[in-house]
Amino acid sequence: MLNVLVRRSAHAILVILVVSVLAFVLTSVVGDPVASILGIGATPEDRAILTERLGLDEPWPSRFVSFLGNAVQGEFGISYSAQRPVADLLLERIPATMELAFAALVLSLAIGLPVGIAAAVWRDRWFASALMTGSIIGVSLPTFVVGILLIFLFSVSLGWLPSFGRGEVVAVGWWTTGLLTWSGLKALIMPALSLAISQVALIARLVRAEMLEVLRTDYIRFARARGLQPRRVNLSHALRNTLIPIITVSGIQLGFLVAFAIVAESVFQWPGLGLLFLQALGSTDLPVISAFLMLAAFFFATINIIVDLLYAAADPRLRVRATAGGRA
Amino acid sequence: MFKQTLFAAVAATALGSSLYGATLSLAPAAEAEVLNYAGTTPALTMDPHATNDFVTTAIFRQVYDSLVGLSLDMEIVPGIAESWEYLGDNTWRFQIREGVVFHDGRPLTAADVAFSIMRQKDSRFYTALFGGIEEAVAVDDYTVDVISSAPDPILPRKMTRLFIMSQSWLEENDSLEIPDLGAEGAEGFTVRNANGTGPMMLTEHNPQVITSFVRNENYWGDFPGNVTEANYTPIGSAPTRVAALLSGEVQLITDLPLQDIERIEGSEGFEVVQTPQFLWMQLEMDGTRDVALDTWNNDETPIESNPFADTRVRQAIAHAIDAQLIVDRVMRGNARVVGIASAPGLGGYQEDLDVHWEFDPERSRALLAEAGYPDGFITQLNCPLERYVNTEETCRAVASMLDRIGIEVRVNGMVWPEFARMLVNGPTSSFHLIGTGPNSFDTQDTFTAVMMTRDAEANEGFFNWALYSNETVDMVANELPVTFDEARRQELYRIGLEEARETVSSVYLHQLMITWGMQDSVEAPIRSDATLTLQNVVIGE
Repeated sequence: MLNVLVRRSAHAILVILVVSVLAFVLTSVVGDPVASILGIGATPEDRAILTERLGLDEPWPSRFVSFLGNAVQGEFGISYSAQRPVADLLLERIPATMELAFAALVLSLAIGLPVGIAAAVWRDRWFASALMTGSIIGVSLPTFVVGILLIFLFSVSLGWLPSFGRGEVVAVGWWTTGLLTWSGLKALIMPALSLAISQVALIARLVRAEMLEVLRTDYIRFARARGLQPRRVNLSHALRNTLIPIITVSGIQLGFLVAFAIVAESVFQWPGLGLLFLQALGSTDLPVISAFLMLAAFFFATINIIVDLLYAAADPRLRVRATAGGRA
Repeated sequence: MFKQTLFAAVAATALGSSLYGATLSLAPAAEAEVLNYAGTTPALTMDPHATNDFVTTAIFRQVYDSLVGLSLDMEIVPGIAESWEYLGDNTWRFQIREGVVFHDGRPLTAADVAFSIMRQKDSRFYTALFGGIEEAVAVDDYTVDVISSAPDPILPRKMTRLFIMSQSWLEENDSLEIPDLGAEGAEGFTVRNANGTGPMMLTEHNPQVITSFVRNENYWGDFPGNVTEANYTPIGSAPTRVAALLSGEVQLITDLPLQDIERIEGSEGFEVVQTPQFLWMQLEMDGTRDVALDTWNNDETPIESNPFADTRVRQAIAHAIDAQLIVDRVMRGNARVVGIASAPGLGGYQEDLDVHWEFDPERSRALLAEAGYPDGFITQLNCPLERYVNTEETCRAVASMLDRIGIEVRVNGMVWPEFARMLVNGPTSSFHLIGTGPNSFDTQDTFTAVMMTRDAEANEGFFNWALYSNETVDMVANELPVTFDEARRQELYRIGLEEARETVSSVYLHQLMITWGMQDSVEAPIRSDATLTLQNVVIGE
């Protein structure tokens, strides 16, 4: 187990390093921050002074080394457009994106699991294929379009849900949560739903495929032969065994959800990391761009490690193989 | 036993809280008129000297007054300064209003004004506007002398963008210097905190989420409106912004997209308000180079001359573009054709000269032939995407119109950072579309900054990206900034504007509109610098 952890961590660090190099190269081609900050009316002297002040006239390898050195200590510099420390900005925005991504994940599972189970258990009925087709529609509609449609239905026509923002948030330590207030929950529904809809098809298909396979196995047949209730057979036995790949996929999906949250965040003006990144790109806010990309890489890498560990923990067969591989 | 005690406790609490609630509702409710409004971008900072972004300025103008005020028609009126006069010797004297207090109660004196002037003039965002000021001296408690390096007849108009802060407050909060970028350590105090003299007081500034104001009960000026509280939220996504207005979550939105104007006007309970912005679109063409950039002969070989340097070619292009058609179709009527390099409301505007070139493609072809390009040529039009309203569509319309007289135009769409870099690091463009407007709201700026022969070191013609050059215009640009005689000034404006139009300094297209959407019950006057003056907003029934 420890071997797995150590090997995965080494891989993760390598990935983060590569991403940081790419992020840095990106920032040098994405535009001129000095022109963005000062506007096109700045005199050459002002621009030279600012360029020197921001350290942009040095060759990028030396800038990269100092950036990396600072990043390791948690120092990400000051945002050009917000004029505040980048670390503060990131900390402020992480809770919003995390809550959105988790809510979307929970929703996609809450919709996808029953759909997939129903399609598998009642695969001979007519609505099984209808369910599958329906979920494809969810994938085909872009998050942006779903979001706008939901807004016009629930905010403009019905007036039930807010069309933008996070509602009232409660601070718990440095984390701000919208889950403890009624307005916060109302504001979370539509963004989470528009994100989740594109994932439902994937979850449903996966669950259906896995369930179909498991339902064919011997131990299920014996359980039925034993006379156990169908519900117990399907849920307690079959479903439990399909959960392992679901967990793996969900972990990876969480990473995608955090990335696709950008779209939902820009439609619903959700104050999360995605919106921050979009605005940083628009105003060539280099410190925020590089910090965000590194954070994203770190997040993805961490999730994958956790999923691998969970996988190894859940499936005893993998544990033996892992340690055996380690020894050899 | 326990259950009984528990029950009693719960009952007591319930009774107590309901009594408390009852007393609250018995107390007379204060007349609170709250305005919730939304725009595209957030206010970048609350430090008025740290940015020149016009959206941010429009927001902090509620909190910070300028030395000289602006009426709703963009006329200069008394502000913090009650009156001003030119003493000669490059010196303007401003009489400061007495009895003005900052939001935290401390009184305003000439020392605060002098300090604010020097602080803002040192800002790297205001070198163009205030770089000429050398010194600001507090002669006594209510008089300030401003000494410039050269006589400046339009200084009072420039002072409508000079914002007054409290020197003592800045000192107490370690913010005597403007918060600088790339600085190590914590953020500047003035980024999210404010203490001004304006009609509203800042209660909260959380850039991406909300900026909140409450009414300043001790405001020195007129407060005809009835707003007691205002909340500004940035909503970047245009459809979401419109939805927020339609659903009632906000009562007013700035930046209503063109395609939604009809929808809002058609909706019951809403209205659309518009005013021309001090910004117009124009096509700038190479005026000086020997060989035009990105231009080819019809056989795709690089051209060996600069067609744009020939006035006949410039006039040919001017007569080939139907600006009214662009306004009608591309801008859906939401723009105003511009015939000279100025607009109504700007200092120096000449109404009788404001006639756009006649649309006459025949004449264009004749002029081109006369200039030696009977079959036209091929050129690239650099186009800043999404920077202004319907920029790309305007570029394509121009391209198709020029195609009819034989000039094949290849539209090169660039995102703004790329476009800006092309200009600022070069300039390296012979033909481009751009939005322009005088910084100080006076046409003098257009002459000195946009049309004068470019000499970046001397800060002359700094925005003359296409290197247009004309002796008469240069003469006007040199004389106007030092002329105080009003009659002579008007004469110079006329000479300059006419010559620029004759020689086509740029092909002026149209003036953009500021478009707001709001509920019928809200009366909010709109001003050409895109500022929502909260003290003038009336929320009805």
